[in-house]
Amino acid sequence: MLDRGADILCIQGLTKRFAVRRPWVMQALSRQPRPMVHAVEDVSLAIGRGTTFALVGESGCGKSTIARCIAGILTPTAGTMTFMAADIMARTGGRDPRRRHLQMIFQDPYASLNPRWRVGRIIAEPIVTHRLISGRSRIEARIAELLTLVGLAPQDARKYPHQFSGGQRQRISIARALASEPDFLICDEPTSALDVSVQAQILNLMRRLQAKLGLSYLLISHNLAVVAHMADRVGVMYLGRLVEWGAAQDVLERPQHPYTRMLLDAVPDVGTRRERPQPFKGEVPSSINPPSGCAFHPRCPLAEARCARERPHPVAVGAGWVACHAVEKSVLS
Amino acid sequence: MADPVLSVRNLRIEIATRRGTLLAVDDASFEIAEGEVLGVVGESGAGKSITGGAIIGLLEPPLRHVGGEIRLAGRRIDDLAAEPMRLLRGRHIGAVFQDPLTSLNPLMTVGRQLMQTMSAHLDLSPREARTRAARLLAEVGLPAAQERLDSYPHELSGGMRQRVVLALAFCCEPQLIIADEPTTALDVSVQAQVIEVLRRMCRERGTAVMLITHDMGVIAEIADRIAVMYGGRIVEIGRAEAILHAPAHPYTRGLMACIPSMHRRYRDLPQIEGSMPRLDAIPSGCAFHPRCPSRLPRCDRERPVLAPAGATQSACWLTAACDQMQDIVAAAGHA
Amino acid sequence: MSLQATTQRGAPRWWEGDLVHDFIRSPLALVAAASTLLIVAAAMGAGLIAPYDSNDPASANVIDARLPPGSSGMTGNYYLLGTDPQGRDMLSAILFGTRMSLMVGASSVLLAALIGIVLGLVCGYFRGLLDAVIMRIADVQLSFPAILIALLIDGITRTVVDRATHDRLAIPVLVVAIAASFWVQYARTVRGLVLVERGKEYVLAAMVTGVSPLRIIASHIRPNVMGSVLVIATINLALAILTEATLSFVGVGVPPTQPSLGSLVRIGNEFLFSGDWWISIGPGAMLVALCLSVNLLADWLRDALNPRLSNG
Repeated sequence: MLDRGADILCIQGLTKRFAVRRPWVMQALSRQPRPMVHAVEDVSLAIGRGTTFALVGESGCGKSTIARCIAGILTPTAGTMTFMAADIMARTGGRDPRRRHLQMIFQDPYASLNPRWRVGRIIAEPIVTHRLISGRSRIEARIAELLTLVGLAPQDARKYPHQFSGGQRQRISIARALASEPDFLICDEPTSALDVSVQAQILNLMRRLQAKLGLSYLLISHNLAVVAHMADRVGVMYLGRLVEWGAAQDVLERPQHPYTRMLLDAVPDVGTRRERPQPFKGEVPSSINPPSGCAFHPRCPLAEARCARERPHPVAVGAGWVACHAVEKSVLS
Repeated sequence: MADPVLSVRNLRIEIATRRGTLLAVDDASFEIAEGEVLGVVGESGAGKSITGGAIIGLLEPPLRHVGGEIRLAGRRIDDLAAEPMRLLRGRHIGAVFQDPLTSLNPLMTVGRQLMQTMSAHLDLSPREARTRAARLLAEVGLPAAQERLDSYPHELSGGMRQRVVLALAFCCEPQLIIADEPTTALDVSVQAQVIEVLRRMCRERGTAVMLITHDMGVIAEIADRIAVMYGGRIVEIGRAEAILHAPAHPYTRGLMACIPSMHRRYRDLPQIEGSMPRLDAIPSGCAFHPRCPSRLPRCDRERPVLAPAGATQSACWLTAACDQMQDIVAAAGHA
Repeated sequence: MSLQATTQRGAPRWWEGDLVHDFIRSPLALVAAASTLLIVAAAMGAGLIAPYDSNDPASANVIDARLPPGSSGMTGNYYLLGTDPQGRDMLSAILFGTRMSLMVGASSVLLAALIGIVLGLVCGYFRGLLDAVIMRIADVQLSFPAILIALLIDGITRTVVDRATHDRLAIPVLVVAIAASFWVQYARTVRGLVLVERGKEYVLAAMVTGVSPLRIIASHIRPNVMGSVLVIATINLALAILTEATLSFVGVGVPPTQPSLGSLVRIGNEFLFSGDWWISIGPGAMLVALCLSVNLLADWLRDALNPRLSNG
């Protein structure tokens, strides 16, 4: 399943739980253990070099949390993370030389850039932090090169973020992420806050950059159409667990897991106009008290008694993997 | 044919800024018939939310309504004073906004908000109001509706809250509903449910709906007709199937082409170069001409008006010319 | 999508900015600014424009004591605002006194701001035990009135050092005492703003890049929280000046050799009812004028910065 040679990132059993914030007096007085948010539960995946792996799911499924754990913003509760064959679990504060190979772009173009800094300084920060280039003129040349690479003008380095539109700001974020010559980019909903026409421009830019620079992407998105366009492999998450993953075409065109099927049915598509039968029952439960066994069983049409007791283990189905008792049963038979 | 429920003619809305007045909505005209869903689409800054706000009468300074008229069932409503407008809102026009959390009063139970709205506009006894409220909640698909009357908004999930907002919008049986990005803040699965509720309730009551959104997929699900806005102007309007599958205006075509779809694969998504112009820099003539791949010489001088173009109405010199050509050819064929 | 984004052009120069635009159009702000500037200029230039040097004991002629305003004394000197019980010219005394009040007020505000901002930044960014301890200290301190804290610090110093040293240290101690009662406001406000900023994505981006926490605090977060500090500082200035005046009035502020407005009021207090009103009223009026101008300016600044802060 995991080919360590060609994989740039590999996570095993990643778990992240948050303690629910309560006044310590209340906690001391109540007899029960402190409630925890089970944001990510035992997730394992591998991303090959030069490919795009997309994590999809609805709000609360834990995809952003995984991204932040990998990026080093959060410390996982358990599990291992291997990046470029080195263990990155330990979050070393300060200028960690490994950090330059892993960068991130964020969802909100209006909050991703420091409003008080000029664009040139924003883009130069990774270069300056890791001391990659010395000499002011050489740094400025590199900034100009990066701005041209993302489709902006070198003169834009002197301007402030508020002078740019959302799409342009996202380009600046990409330029900043590329400044340290990374191998791996985590993209957390990079186009969700953008208009459709701007989204197309940014997605095209990302693909061009991937081809040109040999980048690997971890793409987080709730938009299945974007994922269909960009991803080589897809992982579907529900309530902190990875329920299905495999090649993008397989997962999106021939989904096996009941949740994936329902998700794909619920996506409104411009191409087709139909009145579908309501695919979904209920809503995503809170991750503070996730359902026992398989997290999806309260809403699943194929649920049985076993689903409420045991958490399903992933089984290989074709070239992909599915964590579902019903699917497991049909595969074994 | 019956009078349209909503009729907007030559609507102009200005914004007063420090550097002068800008035109946020420029000469917009459209109609919505009874039971019809009109989807108003466009990107950020196109003026669609402002148009919706003008119809409900919720324009705050620096926005100012300076031209055109808005008629509801034949009656002019854009020149009403604050008090008559307030009575109109809620009773004849319902509104659904994007964020269900801020659309509901956090300090009042859901039932009380419904009852309060209904007693403000309809003549009902408290018991009647309560019964109707429970029935409405059941209709929007809230489980255990009777108990839910006493829940507070924060006790409900996002999807349930938006259903309550829908119930509030429909509770006085309005003729028109303005829905401004009603599903943008919701998950995909919940979105499908809420759209379904909206569609069902409109069909059953024959309510006209103005659905403002940038999400083309949602529009495709529910709209009967679509109006496309760009730079404060309506550039194309027509039946939904025509706009989605055979648009005439170059902007609409570019927009439809650049949306990624689950069922089409490209190496590169077709894209429209550049970005929507800022309100203080709207190009002369046709607002889209700097980005248009099919630009004609007259496009930067004369502003096009909505004219028939195949199955839709399109404000474009190219499509107008094509349409005229087709007429000529057809006429020549008959001769 | 905000209207801001759809209508903004190139970056405006600061003199074209909204703040300056509001300022020019507000008569209140202009008057307040003008009068503040006038008073500050007069006070700072006291050495140049005062007819007599208040700090020079030789300028006090006891023969001319308690003369009403506009009179000439037996020495032949003209006293525009009268003289005090020691024969010092009131006008000069007021000018030097204002300078002292301003200096003590401004220094204590600066010191309080420094302490408060640093603690606010550190508590807001790192949270945890440090945050809990410092904020509890702040809470405790808030329950004491500022005067009491200042009195406490002054009292301690008096018992610890001898009289002569205390007189020499009186002004720094005063500044520290007033600063100690005001830092909490800065710390709390800054901490709240830091909590908001540190969740923003530009800070996360810096973390991912590997920028050290200290650099993130200093170069990313600090510039974005300073706006509110400015507002608090201007409002605080008048309060600090009044606090110093109160302390000096009570007798625990500036030493008698270097009068401030408060101590001048105190000197004249005994003579208020015997008819020598100018000894108290003069400095009192100046104090009111100064605090009023500063307060009006601060109020305008707070309102003017508010919508920008929320759009921010």
